[in-house]
Amino acid sequence: MSRTISITRRLIVTVLVLELLSAVTLIGAIVVNERHTQLHAFDATLEGTAESIMGAVQEADDEGDNVLLDLRGVRLGRDPIFRVEEDNGHLLGSKGDAPRLEGSLSTVFQNAEISGRRYRFVVLHGIRIIDPGEKGGGVRHNITIVYGSPMGHVWHEVLEAVRFFTIATALLLGLTAIIMAWLVRKGLAPLHELAFEAGRITSSAWHFNAPTRAKETVELQPLATALEAALGRLQRSFEQQRRFTNDAAHELKTDVAIVKSSLQLLSMRRRTVEEYSHGLALSLEDFTRLETTVQSMLTLARLEQSTQDFSGEAARPYCSLLDVMEDAVELGTPLAELKAVGVRLDGSANARVPIDRRDALLLCSNILINAVQHSPQGAMVRMELTMHGHKAELRVTDEGEGIAEEDKPHVFEAFYRGDPSRSRKSGGTGLGLSICKAICVRADGSIEIANLPNGGAIVTVRLPALPIESEGALSSSLKA
Amino acid sequence: MRVLVVEDEHRLAENIVAALREVGLAVDHAADGEAGSYLAEQGMYDAIVLDLMLPGKSGQRILRDLRRTKHHTPVLILTAQEGKESVVELLNAGADDYLSKPFDLGELLARVKALIRRAKGVSTSVLKVSDVELNTVQQTVHRRSQPIDLSPTEYRILEYLIHRPRAIVSKQELLEHLYDFDWEHHSNVIEAHISNLRRKLNIPETEPLIETLRHRGYRLREESLAR
Repeated sequence: MSRTISITRRLIVTVLVLELLSAVTLIGAIVVNERHTQLHAFDATLEGTAESIMGAVQEADDEGDNVLLDLRGVRLGRDPIFRVEEDNGHLLGSKGDAPRLEGSLSTVFQNAEISGRRYRFVVLHGIRIIDPGEKGGGVRHNITIVYGSPMGHVWHEVLEAVRFFTIATALLLGLTAIIMAWLVRKGLAPLHELAFEAGRITSSAWHFNAPTRAKETVELQPLATALEAALGRLQRSFEQQRRFTNDAAHELKTDVAIVKSSLQLLSMRRRTVEEYSHGLALSLEDFTRLETTVQSMLTLARLEQSTQDFSGEAARPYCSLLDVMEDAVELGTPLAELKAVGVRLDGSANARVPIDRRDALLLCSNILINAVQHSPQGAMVRMELTMHGHKAELRVTDEGEGIAEEDKPHVFEAFYRGDPSRSRKSGGTGLGLSICKAICVRADGSIEIANLPNGGAIVTVRLPALPIESEGALSSSLKA
Repeated sequence: MRVLVVEDEHRLAENIVAALREVGLAVDHAADGEAGSYLAEQGMYDAIVLDLMLPGKSGQRILRDLRRTKHHTPVLILTAQEGKESVVELLNAGADDYLSKPFDLGELLARVKALIRRAKGVSTSVLKVSDVELNTVQQTVHRRSQPIDLSPTEYRILEYLIHRPRAIVSKQELLEHLYDFDWEHHSNVIEAHISNLRRKLNIPETEPLIETLRHRGYRLREESLAR
């Protein structure tokens, strides 16, 4: 079984991953910024405390020229380490083991590790002048203060900030996932509706109307429209097939019923030789019609098969259309004479058409016989062939009753009969014109039927063709 | 008994009509829906064989119209259509029986005869009145176990009268039910057949089986039915 992919899950995962990436970047930036801010504040505190100590040194009482350090009143940080000394090395006061740090005239911050703890130190230089009012400006004492405090607090603050943003991000991600799931499901609802509607289609119920919401959704509109169109086409083709099968079954069953009942009637009781002979002749006639129906159906099936067997132009059989028309007239003459209908053939043009000779004869004689059958006594049927560039045009006109408007769209459909009884009586199978259409379509041509303004009908067949200049040219090409 | 066949397929209709006539039924034929509908509503048929696909008016519509106008003539449908639904629809619309094409001619005849029998309230193919026995399958008549040789028309008259045991059957009714439209008949043809029938069925010193009611028609004698 192939793995299924959920668009909803994909969308949610994509959004969450993007959101997570943004959050990670943001937290990184926050860490950097927070560290910087906290460090800055820490340095200010260190410097402030160091300056307070310096102030205490400057304000302290002195004994002679010595400076005494009194740190009462100075607020020191937690676990401070400091050393206050004069530049002659005289230590004024200290706490802990403050490292010796390189100092210059300006204030310097440095990190150091004292008994496993990370400290940050500030080195502050100052001057204490004793008795400044005396001659010579008093005694100057250069004071250096090294003051440090553990940095743990800075990192604690940074971690706190990270923890806050991580929790906030996790909550945001969860909320986003829930909202996204709801939104995507809501957004995909028209798709589900479309699928549900499409799922209701069965071979017997083809009705499909895309839901309005699907049609109003920009992304789904092409799919909905395409589905509607495709189903419409399928339904028409399916209906056509079904109708053909039903009609074919009806025709065959009726023909079989006739043959069967004829023979059963004959065997109902003992009959005279004349009765048997008459009955057999009738049964043979019935059987011949069954055979014609079957033959026509097989012909139509053969013609409507895919044209794969035409592998290339070279494989296409060609025939001379005028010759075939002459043969068709010859074949149709007995029926025409029986119905007292004249047939006239205009043979001024000729063409080679890409149709097998037998199919071409079937095409011409079907059209001709159809015209004769619909002609009144004494009427004339005309067959003529003209060339228009690379197109051959075969026209057959009759003086019959023409075609009813409601029948026009259906005359080329298999088994279609405007009047169901008449066609059967006249011996037609109802497949003649469908076979003609199949032959024309197979040869990339067309066939149409229309009424003439002064009564009668005209059948026009257009076929791709190569002209044949004269009979001589044709026979010489055949000889070659 | 008179049957109407409504079938547009000329050759099939010909065969059905010929077969029904062979078993002693009078048959009329309609080749399209309009004619079939008109004839069916005249009410002179004992059964109707109705094709569904007809030019003009479909078999379904003929059946519906017939039942709507309170005609109860039994109808046997001939169909070449597939699918059970249409059969259910037809039976619901008032059809009494149906046969799918291609059917067996013998079966068609048996079904038509069974429909006629059922419509007359008889369930067996052997009809009895007094000491007369009429076998509708073999078309034979016996009285006191002795075979009686009747002409087809005489047989049909006797069968018709036995099917309408207490009714007075007029000459017109007999004409309508025993002869089809093609028959050139005179009213006294019935009288001639009845007279022959009486003679053939007669047993000395008994009342005749069929009594004549002047200007009204014929009836089976009451005493014969009482037994």
